[in-house]
Amino acid sequence: MRELESSKLHAKTVAGRETALQLDMDVLVGYILLTGVLLSLTLITTGLVWAWFRTGRLEVNYPITGVNLFQFVVGETRLAAQGAIRPRLLVNLGVTALMLTPFVRVAASVVYFMGVLKNWKYTLFTAIVLTVLTYSLFLR
Amino acid sequence: MGGGIILIPALTLLGVDIKHAIAISILSVIATSSGSASAYVRDHITNLKVGMFLEMFTIVGALVGARITLAASPRPLYITFGAVLLGSWIALLVAGHQSWQAVEGQDAFSRWLELEGSYPDQAIGGTIQYKARRAYLGAPAMFGAGLIAGLLGIGAGAVKVLIHDLIMGLPPKVSTTTSNLIIGVTALAGTSVYLAAGLIHPGLAAPVILGVVLGAFLGTRLLVRLTNQAVRRFFLIVLLVLAVEMIFRGVRGA
Repeated sequence: MRELESSKLHAKTVAGRETALQLDMDVLVGYILLTGVLLSLTLITTGLVWAWFRTGRLEVNYPITGVNLFQFVVGETRLAAQGAIRPRLLVNLGVTALMLTPFVRVAASVVYFMGVLKNWKYTLFTAIVLTVLTYSLFLR
Repeated sequence: MGGGIILIPALTLLGVDIKHAIAISILSVIATSSGSASAYVRDHITNLKVGMFLEMFTIVGALVGARITLAASPRPLYITFGAVLLGSWIALLVAGHQSWQAVEGQDAFSRWLELEGSYPDQAIGGTIQYKARRAYLGAPAMFGAGLIAGLLGIGAGAVKVLIHDLIMGLPPKVSTTTSNLIIGVTALAGTSVYLAAGLIHPGLAAPVILGVVLGAFLGTRLLVRLTNQAVRRFFLIVLLVLAVEMIFRGVRGA
């Protein structure tokens, strides 16, 4: 509600189609961030509570050794497909969701700058950010 | 003031190795910064263009910084961390209340980058128009801010805000909220380096992430009940104690 009111206030003072589209982008980016963080927190909380019911301890203890995010996701998905859904898997998915939140935000920005705003300058800038982030997620 | 600068000394006091503490802290920074950024972006205070332009530089800085930490031995890390704490302490001690001056003449590069905007200010009930300047200085400075963030596993929000304010002339609200947006992506770049190095233990990270988010949530509510003076005094004491403690451990080789 709050953002709707401020949108209206803002739209009244600044006119123009491009500005309106820019304001829509704010809302889109805001909701991507909110969804990602809430999803991640829900998964992590569920995983920890589940571990607590099973072991009586509010912790899961294991290291991740030398994998990048994509290998991590593939490995965990394989476990899930085998029906091995465990507290640890939920926590791992929560960490993954958290790391993918800014990544998805940048990816959506590239699409929005390119497809909706048709701003080539910023399409290029956000694409550079996306490329560097993708590279970093494939690091070994 | 973010969580990392307090979280890392706290974790090391609990016996966590400093590199693991840095890795977990930078992961939790993604949660706190994205959480608060989501509200500010939807309120149209954050400037996405300023954020996305400067992100190109902070993420590269964070990748380099995290690599340096992996190669470094713990003692210089303790000392650098202590020095940053001390720097924050000094900044807080001398912080004045400067009023924001709108940028009049914008340079050609910043104009080409479309670094301008407006935001609704509920305090005055109207819209504030602004322009940013000197992006050619802000960009390399942001590489430095990203380097500190990746190196020490903190958001380095204070450094980013200083760059926005002093170099680029952004209004304070735009400056802090845009820094929040940049922090999330920068922290992700740093986190991926630490994840690949095997320094992220989900077993330790999970409770820390929940704790930090809960702390940030309660802290914001507590903050509005306290006077600025009380908050400032509290941080002046905490920062100084932690700075001395970290430098001491670095020198002694704990």
